Amino acid sequence: MRTSGVTDVVVGLHSNDHLCWPFDDFAEFRARAAEFLADGLQQGQRACYVAHGDDLVADLATQPVLVEALRDGRAEVISLESLYGAGPTVTPEEQVSVYATATLAAIEAGFTGLRVAADATALVRTPDSLDAFCRYEHLIDRYTTAEPFSAMCAYHRPELPEPVIARLAALHPVNNAWCAPFRLHATVDGLALDGEVDWVSSDLLALALESTRPENGELRVDATGLRFIDHHGLLALHEHARANAARLVLRSGRAFLARLVSVLELDDVECVR
Amino acid sequence: MTGFYHETAFYGTDDDFLTIAVPFVEGGLRAGQPTLIACAEKNTALLRGALGHEDAVIYLPGADHYSRPADAIASYRDIFGGHALAGATQIRTVGDVPHPGWGVPWDWWGRYENAVNQAFAEFPLWGLCPYDTRITPPEVLADVARTHEYIATVSGEHLPSPEFGNGLPLSTPVPDVLELGSPRVTLVDATPAAVREAVSAAITGIRLTEDSAHDVVYAASEIVTNGLSHGVGPVRFRLWSDDSRVLVTVTDQGAGPADPLAGLMPTTATRSAGLGLWILHRTCDYVSMGREEDGFTVRVSIGGSGHT
Repeated sequence: MRTSGVTDVVVGLHSNDHLCWPFDDFAEFRARAAEFLADGLQQGQRACYVAHGDDLVADLATQPVLVEALRDGRAEVISLESLYGAGPTVTPEEQVSVYATATLAAIEAGFTGLRVAADATALVRTPDSLDAFCRYEHLIDRYTTAEPFSAMCAYHRPELPEPVIARLAALHPVNNAWCAPFRLHATVDGLALDGEVDWVSSDLLALALESTRPENGELRVDATGLRFIDHHGLLALHEHARANAARLVLRSGRAFLARLVSVLELDDVECVR
Repeated sequence: MTGFYHETAFYGTDDDFLTIAVPFVEGGLRAGQPTLIACAEKNTALLRGALGHEDAVIYLPGADHYSRPADAIASYRDIFGGHALAGATQIRTVGDVPHPGWGVPWDWWGRYENAVNQAFAEFPLWGLCPYDTRITPPEVLADVARTHEYIATVSGEHLPSPEFGNGLPLSTPVPDVLELGSPRVTLVDATPAAVREAVSAAITGIRLTEDSAHDVVYAASEIVTNGLSHGVGPVRFRLWSDDSRVLVTVTDQGAGPADPLAGLMPTTATRSAGLGLWILHRTCDYVSMGREEDGFTVRVSIGGSGHT
């Protein structure tokens, strides 16, 4: 079961968890990344640290187990520049396939999976690169639901506007602090929407939805963890389904969502428990 | 006859009620017109007694039909639309619209009587709304005279109402009895999320079903959103409660919606504007909205008996 919610600890996470980790201070990021990766090593995963810098090995010196793993090849460091190429804009599908190949290689080499901690700040500085990276975040999130790949996506908060942080955080099942009022993340057969969506945040939801695509003509949204949604939020979901010629299927154990659908006469929306 | 012929009648005795309503119903039946009775229990019983066994009459239990004005408009439009589609050239309906004389707050029913002039305009409809002068408060009678184009009399006349469309606003909504006490929550220019949090905390311990508790939070969020997005600040949110009922109000300094259908029918102009108010009118036990002393106020009551 993947973790969903807000956490301030990076140990004890599963082999397919996907964290968003905005940070203010590089020392703090390095320490958390090292803990996250060391915990992965304990679980038999291969560890990979991706960041910008000249001496990435030194970044991880706080965890002796990691230093040892770096020496014997169970862990590696990769500079951001070499992984993401020269350009600051990723091709979402290609980037996912890079990690998929690396995960497969890790399993073939006898590891239980692959764990990555990356500072992705440099990849979201322009509107185009941000759009592409948001799409990548959703695709990799979907990949992690099915494969033993776990990731900590870190962003240096002082370098990015708050709405950018919110947009990125909203696409992760786990955050390190309150960054966005909701989380829209992948499930095995669609999406899950947790938290709260109202008039203020419905634009952010519409934006987050743009990074996703309905499959097989259905936009399946698990709203079991949704505490609140108003008609603005519901209409954003409905509009995204409609624009993609898909049918909105909402899963919720509570009656209010079905009632809102009925009052709004959204006859093409299916509510399931 | 085409269009909506919206008529009222003022009666002071049961006999007068029957003198006006029975010929109205019988006339419809004789002409083969779909004829509906949506009266309160007592008037329904009086009419059943006077009409005898009439299979053709369509009875709608008044208490259910007139539980909420937005529901009544939606359900009437379904019924009238069905008859019109089936070829009816004239439909008749007689109904008891609730008011404080029946123990029901008036504001949203006053807006209903005003709105149906537009909401039913497309149907070949003769609607009779009789009011019992023994129990109807004067401010209600004044609104009724303003919102009905015709008045039926005991002598069988159908006179134009001199007050109809006189341009005066409807009566000012009456504050809820809970407002005599101090509000338990007051927030000014707060975000919908902050309002929801305060409301959730405040209603813990009040006897509400899970659905009603959610309705309170939902209503609070929507009326604050409505004030912030359409009103003029400051937007003041307040909450009162007793042990089983919650009242929330939002007051802003704007004029409120100009459309008399606001809240009572879904707006078609833009998909979202006014939808919040419409949802509240279909889920809450009472919604008032109008200009009051300190600004434009939306007032929502949930729980308890549903009435103030």
